[in-house]
Amino acid sequence: MRWFALVLIATACLVSPPDAMAHKESDAYLTLKTDPGDPHRLHGQWDIALRDLDFAIGIDSNHDGAITWGEVQAHKGAIEAYALPRLVVKGDGLTCELQATGQAIDAHTDGTYNVLTFDAVCDKNIPSRLTVVYNLMYEVDPYHRGIVTIHDGAKVAGAVLGPSHTQASLDLHEPGRWSEFTSFLVDGVWHIWTGTDHILFLLSLLFPAVLVRRFWPACVDVIKIVSAFSVSHSVTLSLAVLGIVHVPSRLVESGIALSVLVAALNNVYPLVHRRVWLIAFAFGFIHGLGFASALTGLQLPPGAMAASLGGFSVGVEIGQEAIVLAFLPLAFLVRLTRFYRFGVVRVGSWLIVAIAAGWFIERAFDVVIPGFASILPN
Amino acid sequence: MAMPAGIDFERRYAMRRPTWGGAWLIFSLWLVAWMPLPTSAQDTSPYIPASADTVLQHVPPATDPRVRQFEALRQDAAHHPGDAARAVALAKAYVDYGRATGDARYLGRAIAVIDPFMKAVDPPVPVLLLHATVQQSRHAFAASRTELDQVLKRDPGNVQGWLTLATVAMVQGDFSTANKACVHLANTGGDFMGLVCSASLRSLDGHARQAYAMLTLVQDPGPKAPPAIHSWIEGLMADTAARMGDAAAADGHFRQALQFTPGDNFLLADYGEFLLGQGRPREALALVADDPTSDTSFLVRVTAKVMMNAPDAAKDIAQMDARFAAMDQRGDHVFLREEADFRRVAHQDANGALTLARENWKVQRASKDARAYLAAAIATGHPAAASEVIDFIRATGMSDPILDPLVQQATAAAVDSKAKRR
Repeated sequence: MRWFALVLIATACLVSPPDAMAHKESDAYLTLKTDPGDPHRLHGQWDIALRDLDFAIGIDSNHDGAITWGEVQAHKGAIEAYALPRLVVKGDGLTCELQATGQAIDAHTDGTYNVLTFDAVCDKNIPSRLTVVYNLMYEVDPYHRGIVTIHDGAKVAGAVLGPSHTQASLDLHEPGRWSEFTSFLVDGVWHIWTGTDHILFLLSLLFPAVLVRRFWPACVDVIKIVSAFSVSHSVTLSLAVLGIVHVPSRLVESGIALSVLVAALNNVYPLVHRRVWLIAFAFGFIHGLGFASALTGLQLPPGAMAASLGGFSVGVEIGQEAIVLAFLPLAFLVRLTRFYRFGVVRVGSWLIVAIAAGWFIERAFDVVIPGFASILPN
Repeated sequence: MAMPAGIDFERRYAMRRPTWGGAWLIFSLWLVAWMPLPTSAQDTSPYIPASADTVLQHVPPATDPRVRQFEALRQDAAHHPGDAARAVALAKAYVDYGRATGDARYLGRAIAVIDPFMKAVDPPVPVLLLHATVQQSRHAFAASRTELDQVLKRDPGNVQGWLTLATVAMVQGDFSTANKACVHLANTGGDFMGLVCSASLRSLDGHARQAYAMLTLVQDPGPKAPPAIHSWIEGLMADTAARMGDAAAADGHFRQALQFTPGDNFLLADYGEFLLGQGRPREALALVADDPTSDTSFLVRVTAKVMMNAPDAAKDIAQMDARFAAMDQRGDHVFLREEADFRRVAHQDANGALTLARENWKVQRASKDARAYLAAAIATGHPAAASEVIDFIRATGMSDPILDPLVQQATAAAVDSKAKRR
């Protein structure tokens, strides 16, 4: 009887010298397509064999050997939770966020596959070089291969990924510096329009500037203030983004609150009369550091960094000029009214003082004033 | 397994003068060539199934005792992490299941189980042996032999190690190593193992009759022997009878083997190719009709349909093209010999077939590999391209009724062309 046991161990071995298997080994097909309408977004389709998913996480709930569409649907969340963390999509070294968008079924030559559709959102930049890091299934089947295809318009590139070769980088296109520039320009505009503290600082400085008889001197004054602010904040913005200067955010944020406080207070108890632009210039350095917070930590490649910094700075200027252009004519027209002189300049400034004081306390001492956030979230 | 290279098939389609049937075949193949490939590996379109009850995929059911065995072994291994013996038991169950069903995914799953132990400087012998076995199944013969050498150096009495080495060496056409392994096997594993091993080798190097006689001695391992053993020996006898030219005996042994292990993927393909070689495509088609998902069965089916001029052959050719494309896409070249035959028969692409057969010859040198190479070379009109095969056949004495005429044809043509040059 002893040789039976031995033979049993060995049978399959000799039976089949050229034992070609009936099926190929495990593959999954991953396709990424750029979106012509949104350069930050890639549409992904990931076909994973139901047999593989069943082995890895169990899809055949009733264990009857037949996987139904109902069973696959019931495991939609589990499939996403299994697959998506095993995939990393990077644009120029920055990880893009993966969001599942749907589920379907696809037939391949060796069986039926679950289709996981998703978007890769690279919101920090416009990727010119795309990197895919693929780690699906290896823990249960090291012969699994990820067959990756990337479509960028008519251009197609592909790679076969496995445990010894987990990532592929593909140049989508020449770095789109201009589109990167414009994308960050828009970011810059929004940054200033949604940054209440920056707006209030600027307005506080501009309130008294129009209180002159003729339009032109008012204009000159405004231009002086705005230019001084631009020059100084551009300097610190660049230094901070390039990593040359680093100031703790708490100091920067409370400094900005203090600048608003000082600017508004100067309208009610004028200390600086003729040279308001000096305040703008001095505090501009701190505001520049604040702007930089939107860009620091991106670790962009040098070319992309230049484009994004340039675009963002120009965006900040445009956003700022837009506020000024909207304010100046209106304020000049109503400058003689009681509404403006008392309502806006005095009461408005006091209001700003109050808000800025609240900000300052919150930011400098890291405390929360009850109810304050509901008045002004910034 | 050079299924389309069967002598009758050759006579019908390669050597026969053009007839209307042949013209139709060529015409229909020409038509096929113009058809767009319906399913490239990934350009299918996703869909939403009609109902939640739609069955999408069959997987091993829990009622399958082998699946229940996996579950038990898996839990056992999970409860004892770091226990190589338990890991090997689970991995072995996967390998056996993969081989019986032909599902190559189980090879990778087995490797994943023993991978942690393979990372050691000196992996335990059973781990290394299983790894070598999987390498062999994946046609990584050189890598498999390196690992087997290590196994046998550390454990010279390892029966399975010698058997696997003999198998790999036979596939590679390294008959002297195979012979040595068979001798070691006889010494360590007993007469039965030694006899079967030697018979397998004799069957390959031109002594099929002797091999058949040896196998007759062990044909009945007794009623207590598991069906897999019976099937194994019947399968060997079938191949050997075919090499002797005794088609009726081969037929009988194949049927016997399939009675012991019904649906065995390897046997079905082997028997199917035998039938095609005998010019019996109808029977071959009926044999593999049950499992169109198996690539090896499907190849038999496609070839049978081409031989029968079946109207839907074109559809199957396109499907097979897609399957080869999918394998190619992942960088798999396990089916080179099969693909060579397929290119030659289904696409009349002699040059493509020759390239593939030549690549295949670098890796494996069984008689079916030799047939594929010779048939492709003859089809290109330059039989001298297969001179390395002829040299090998002369050196080893390899012989069977399908191979021999191909060798004659190739050498005659070579002599012819030499005479013409003079």
